[in-house]
Amino acid sequence: MQGVPRQISCGDAPLSVEGGRSQLVWDLPVRLFHWLLAALIVFSWWSVHHHHTDWHIWSGCAILTLLIFRILWGFFGSSTSRFTGFVRGPRAVGAYLRGEWFGIGHNPLGALSVLALLAAVAVQVALGLVAQDEDGIYMGPLARLVTSDQSDKARALHSAWFNVLLGLIVLHLAAIAFYKVRGIGLTRAMISGKTDLGANLPPMRAGKWWAALICLAIAIAITRWVIAGAPHVAS
Amino acid sequence: MRAVLFALALPLVSIAACSGSQTSQIHNGQANVSTDSRSAENATGSNLELRLSLGDATRIMHERHEGMETIGKNAKAINRELAGPSPDLAVVRGGAAQIAELSTKASGWFPEGTGPEAGKTGAKPDIWQNRADFETKLHNFQGAAAAFDAAAKSGDVPRIKARFAELGGACKACHDKYRAEMHH
Repeated sequence: MQGVPRQISCGDAPLSVEGGRSQLVWDLPVRLFHWLLAALIVFSWWSVHHHHTDWHIWSGCAILTLLIFRILWGFFGSSTSRFTGFVRGPRAVGAYLRGEWFGIGHNPLGALSVLALLAAVAVQVALGLVAQDEDGIYMGPLARLVTSDQSDKARALHSAWFNVLLGLIVLHLAAIAFYKVRGIGLTRAMISGKTDLGANLPPMRAGKWWAALICLAIAIAITRWVIAGAPHVAS
Repeated sequence: MRAVLFALALPLVSIAACSGSQTSQIHNGQANVSTDSRSAENATGSNLELRLSLGDATRIMHERHEGMETIGKNAKAINRELAGPSPDLAVVRGGAAQIAELSTKASGWFPEGTGPEAGKTGAKPDIWQNRADFETKLHNFQGAAAAFDAAAKSGDVPRIKARFAELGGACKACHDKYRAEMHH
């Protein structure tokens, strides 16, 4: 097999091909988003189980900022971060599973995982925003938009929905381990942003740094408005 | 495609498993209560006057649970008012009075024998192992509830908010240490 490039078509972003060139597939905003989200999810879980409900709420607000940023970056960011760049239909997923997909960034199956994770986190944030604690000490910033009973139900759902999120995270980690066993490392690429690409694959088109700053500014502005209780929409 | 189906099925399974275990907990709780009331008659002979009869324990635990729920319900209503731009002080006053009244009753809510051994409860056994510390915290709560009630009657909103924050702190100090995480 020496000298013959291994064409491994199943792998999320990087197609590791021996002798390929190391190239950027994940830009800095995507990587920062990913690791900050992972860290804040762990922190949110830890803080609420250690009676730091105030930190838990702030952590949730920070996750809201990240989510808004990532959605905007999914329209205005680099080619591998754009939804139009990685969200594919079932036919592409089928082609990928048969080993007939070639590209960089999220593969068609991995894209479903990304969408599911983003949606699950968004649901969890939305439930937390309108929830209140069981003692009447803490409220999510939008809790006053619903009744007290609805806030209590939101808390119960927020707590149950974490299991859904956890299931998807376990699946995500299992997929990474599965690729690792098959000789495809994904973690390092999410840290350095770089991986070895096959010669014929088109490189990532980078996003504009100022576009990232504008997306971040919008995300922060919307979060601040939410923290203020969504004035002008809330009566 | 199998992987996708698995991805969709996993969350559903985890929800189902979660709600299943909750249901069984509730059934266990009910089973405990009925066993307790039956064995109460047998227990009275040997532990005469020294221990709370289990029937009384069940009654006190129920009263405690209802009382705490009412305090929580009032606190939530007050919290909502105080978080808004123009708090309805009638809601605050009514809730404050009810919390203050229930806080005095709380002195009788934690006799020995009303822990998890007597039925389903969020009260941790530590309450009876650190009785002095628990009593201090209970006393702080009663003081904070009375101070909040006085502030509510004054109608001075900044003062009400300050006393309410202190009351929340008193609730939390005890709950963090002596309440088990309950899913109900």
